[in-house]
Amino acid sequence: MARRPGETLLAHLARIGLPVLQRSIRYHRPRGPLCGVGACSQCLVRVNGAPNVRACEYEPADGDRIATENAWPSPHWDLLGAFDLLFPRGLDTLHGFRTPGFAAPLYQRVVRRLAGYGHLPDPPTDPPPALGESLQTDVLVIGGGRSGRASAASLVAAGRETVVLDRAPSSAPLDGARWRAGTTVSFLPRPHLDRPHPFAAIATRRDRSSLFVRAREVVVAIGGYDGPLLFPGNDRPGVLTAEGAEALVPAGAVPPFRRALLFGGGARVLPLLERFGQHIEAVAAPGSVRGEIAEKAAPLEVPVYPRSLLVGASGRRRVRRAHLRTRGGGASVDLDVDAIVLAHRRLPNPQLFYQAGARMEWRREAGAYFPVLGADGATSVPGLFAAGTVGGFVPDATPSASGRAAADAVLGRPWAPGDLPPRVGAETPGELEGYYHELLAGARGHGKWVLCPCEDVLLHEVEEASAHGFRGIEVIKRMTAVGTGLCQGRYCLPDALLVLAYLESRPPSEVGYITQRPPFLPARLEALAALPEDPPPSTEAT
Amino acid sequence: MNRSRYRVVVVGAGIIGLYTAWHLARAGVSDVLVVDRGFLSNGASGRNGGGVRQQWDTRATVRLARESVHAFRSFGHDFGYNIWFRQGGYLFVAESAEELERLRAVQRVVASEGLPARVLDPAQIARRAPALSLEHVVGGTYLASDGTVYPFPAVWGLYDAVRAKGVEVALGVELQRVVVENGRVVAVETSAGRVATDTVVNAAGGWSKEVSDRAGLTVPNVATRHEILATEPLKPFLDPMVVRASDGLYFSQTMRGEIVGGVTVHHPPGTEAGMPSSTEFLRTMARALTGLVPRLRGLGVLRAWSGFYDDTPDGLPVIGEDPRLKGFVHANGFGGHGVMISPATTRRVAQVVLGERTDLDPAMFAPDRFLGVARNGTTERLQLG
Repeated sequence: MARRPGETLLAHLARIGLPVLQRSIRYHRPRGPLCGVGACSQCLVRVNGAPNVRACEYEPADGDRIATENAWPSPHWDLLGAFDLLFPRGLDTLHGFRTPGFAAPLYQRVVRRLAGYGHLPDPPTDPPPALGESLQTDVLVIGGGRSGRASAASLVAAGRETVVLDRAPSSAPLDGARWRAGTTVSFLPRPHLDRPHPFAAIATRRDRSSLFVRAREVVVAIGGYDGPLLFPGNDRPGVLTAEGAEALVPAGAVPPFRRALLFGGGARVLPLLERFGQHIEAVAAPGSVRGEIAEKAAPLEVPVYPRSLLVGASGRRRVRRAHLRTRGGGASVDLDVDAIVLAHRRLPNPQLFYQAGARMEWRREAGAYFPVLGADGATSVPGLFAAGTVGGFVPDATPSASGRAAADAVLGRPWAPGDLPPRVGAETPGELEGYYHELLAGARGHGKWVLCPCEDVLLHEVEEASAHGFRGIEVIKRMTAVGTGLCQGRYCLPDALLVLAYLESRPPSEVGYITQRPPFLPARLEALAALPEDPPPSTEAT
Repeated sequence: MNRSRYRVVVVGAGIIGLYTAWHLARAGVSDVLVVDRGFLSNGASGRNGGGVRQQWDTRATVRLARESVHAFRSFGHDFGYNIWFRQGGYLFVAESAEELERLRAVQRVVASEGLPARVLDPAQIARRAPALSLEHVVGGTYLASDGTVYPFPAVWGLYDAVRAKGVEVALGVELQRVVVENGRVVAVETSAGRVATDTVVNAAGGWSKEVSDRAGLTVPNVATRHEILATEPLKPFLDPMVVRASDGLYFSQTMRGEIVGGVTVHHPPGTEAGMPSSTEFLRTMARALTGLVPRLRGLGVLRAWSGFYDDTPDGLPVIGEDPRLKGFVHANGFGGHGVMISPATTRRVAQVVLGERTDLDPAMFAPDRFLGVARNGTTERLQLG
């Protein structure tokens, strides 16, 4: 197959079918791609001797050696997949494998064999990356999407020296700003407020190098992601987030599914329905479904199931069927589908705010934490601002308005009434507390509920720890490994908070939150090693 | 807290505090309250790299470590939790003749206690840890029965066990003041009220200096922040914990396949700044690790975190009753090695509380050693891994 320019390995493979590239870590369950944005653990491959390369980010070149990981002989037929069938209740690594004592080394060898994805990297043949770039600026804008770009444009227009770091590999630069594409901020430490440039962010780049930026002020506009949903079989190949489906299917390509269930009833659903129209079998939503969606679905003869629980997905190597039940003890519907696209909630990436020490608040209507913003648009950390989804502003609707507002806040310009764009509220039908309450109180049915796909942590492990009297996400995380895998909680924590809230009979905000540790997204050791030295504050020009 | 009086109040529900409570309960004293202002594993017991070594530079500490290894081997049987004690060995590597001589001196002490610690040449090191670059390595020492544990289940196992024996563990409760009358402990004031007791055990780890302060005692303990990171998991390739003598770099591969380790980076002492991570550590650690194991260059770092060592001037823990305050027992100053010698040391702490004789040399471990004539300077000790 000829490659198209800019095509990722994942999209390339998806042209012949749904790529199933690996097995899961404990039970060797088949795993297909999930997130499509380089943040989960489900499309890892070995490329030219380097393990754990994400196929959704990698653009293949001629002569590449690409191999699957953690599967033998192949991800489709894997002998260790027997563990999944032999242990329907999972392996109890907390209490099991203890006796007899003399067998410990044997147990350890077996369990260790199951751990890890890729094998040790081949010895490197190229030299390590050169020492990274060091920049100093008035304002650092993190994120070059619509909000970040709007912020940067306002700041440049006001004569502020501006650096923009954008994760997208080839975004167009902005005149007047120093723009670095393909750059992910890994760590935004708490600022040293006594220095003229209090912020010192570090970033890693796609070309394996790194970057060090000092700034007087920072605007964070790193957006959000399409969140997960817990149901039995939620880790089956074919379960995708909306972004995952978009990444798998470049514009104009035929998707590797024919009959997808689109799950969600809000703003995120409409463009997906337009794009995948004839490949959508049904739309179901945890709550109400917007009128425009129903209007769009009718001519396509796509049935719409509002107020539905997704109670399961069956099919071993691929989703074959989705099971819905109308909320409030209503009728059941089984749908023959080969994919489930999750578009029911858009979640913010809050990590950098936590790293920088900003005060956060749980917003029930969105089911997520956002930075507390003062009347002047600043977070609780002086000099730190938020724009777009991470600031809790309505996604898609007016991102550039929130970007401009953040720039105004940096510039100390007073806002006129109504300047601030709408924040997430009634707009978001993703209020899931009640949904999870109903789902978890109901019958459990068959199949594994994989709460944390990276570490294969099952729902009942969390329930047992909770029943044992261990409370709060910090303890449950250490006990079950929820949130400690490759995605660092991105695809399990939002559900885990709701599950614990149910189990502990208290609001999600009281369950706590796990410390958001650096780096934000995995950072390569060689890039970190190439970070330039941080000049001591005494040598700084003021 | 269910009662107004306890025979013993232990401050700190980390591994030292809970293990002490367990030894007390096993000796028949379960009228014990353990208080901790955080959640289980919030402190160093849940933040360390899980190293368990017997290669120490004094015979007394080698013996404590050896006894602890025996306890870890049967922990699963005794407590019902699997701590995954994997005896993959500890490999110290030297990059100069002087470093190797220091390691040899330790090896001689360890061997004199009957443990088969060995001096390795670079070729033997390559067999033990195939991924290492031997470019600068001149030799090392190795003991196969050293290893690693998962510290969390150790804490939970003890938590369950002490409560089953009637010990009360109050989490989220802060000790505010130790009430003293006529030179002896009579009560403690906590965030949940006052409790009468005549014995307080200070097992507060990095916060032990603050707890001693709250009893009106000045101690030489200093909390130092140390950082650690974990990488993406790989299939098993590394059995031993590797420690480099020159810079304190240490790392092992956990049961889950992650490389977990740290390196010495100096931060201002004290607990006031909390437990943040630092850019300096990420850079220093990445340079050290990729220098010794170049094949890990492209591996992703998943997370970094930090915790406190509770350091003493001579690098040895403080175990014993404070001579200035009757009923105030120290079980602190473990300097980052609390988990690895917790089973044996806490047995002695319990003996002190019960008024029994211990086999600990007071000149090495008793709090008195810092109160008399000041010793000459601080002693450089093997504070690695």
